[in-house]
Amino acid sequence: MNMADKGDDHHDLEAMFAAARQRPVDVPNDLMARVLADADRIAAMRRPAPLWQQVRDALGGWPAVGGLVAASVAGVWIGVAPPSALPDPAELFFGTQTSSVSDTLSDGFFDMAAILEES
Amino acid sequence: MMWMFRSSLGSRSDGELLALYAHGDSAAAKELSRRLLPALMGLGVRMLGDATEAEDVVQETMLRLWRMAPDWQDGQAKVSTWAYRVAMNLCTDRLRKRRHLSGGTLDDAPEPMDDAPGAEARLQDGARHDALQNALAALPERQRQAVVLRHLEGLSNPEIAVIMDIGVEAVESLSARGRRSLKQALEGRRAELGYEHG
Repeated sequence: MNMADKGDDHHDLEAMFAAARQRPVDVPNDLMARVLADADRIAAMRRPAPLWQQVRDALGGWPAVGGLVAASVAGVWIGVAPPSALPDPAELFFGTQTSSVSDTLSDGFFDMAAILEES
Repeated sequence: MMWMFRSSLGSRSDGELLALYAHGDSAAAKELSRRLLPALMGLGVRMLGDATEAEDVVQETMLRLWRMAPDWQDGQAKVSTWAYRVAMNLCTDRLRKRRHLSGGTLDDAPEPMDDAPGAEARLQDGARHDALQNALAALPERQRQAVVLRHLEGLSNPEIAVIMDIGVEAVESLSARGRRSLKQALEGRRAELGYEHG
């Protein structure tokens, strides 16, 4: 007679199943830590980058941004105080003599000095 | 979505927690892990007979869960069912790899746990648990899956059918055959395990 033929075999197997179900499952703390670290890492990869970071990346990183800023500053400076060797772009365009920004500023300062002196 | 943030995470469904995680809520990930890890760990240990391998399976399963979180559509399936299915497939891969490495001579059984000398001195419930684990390990793969999910994880047959990607009748058949095999494997150990009283 094998176990399957015994009247209480069903009860025995069920008892073993029940005991196994009730047996506590040990979840190591470091496993939980690793799982949560994975969750944070995946979430960080999914998070959109800030706008400034997206612009920087679109331009090609910090070196490209540095070059762009330097070129912009140089362009503004050349516009404000063009070297004497260069022709005045406004004169070339309009065909007339125009005053430079520095001249305008100088005139303004003279006017202001005259007003202060009179008062 | 905002209404979910005002409620405690403990009362949220698994699917809601996953959606919260997808929106950047790390506390939801922690709560979901707290719910799923014991069941997945139990499944891994029962299927593989090795806690270290089971840990790897659990971590990989959860990693895949985090990755697909934004694409999860709540209501189509249970998160736990999805996780069970992934974990079961990972266990199957490992068992097949193990069998391949052993040249197929060891079936897919882990190392026996209770054949060492002096095993009689162990507590009886521990001996019964180990005996059951060994008998499970000796079952054919699909029978073991069905028995573990039905009788140890306590899942319903329809849910097991989804996890194993078979019909409910096939689940019942596999489970019944697995139980018969377990009985036959354990019948010679009834006295040793304290099931015969004269």
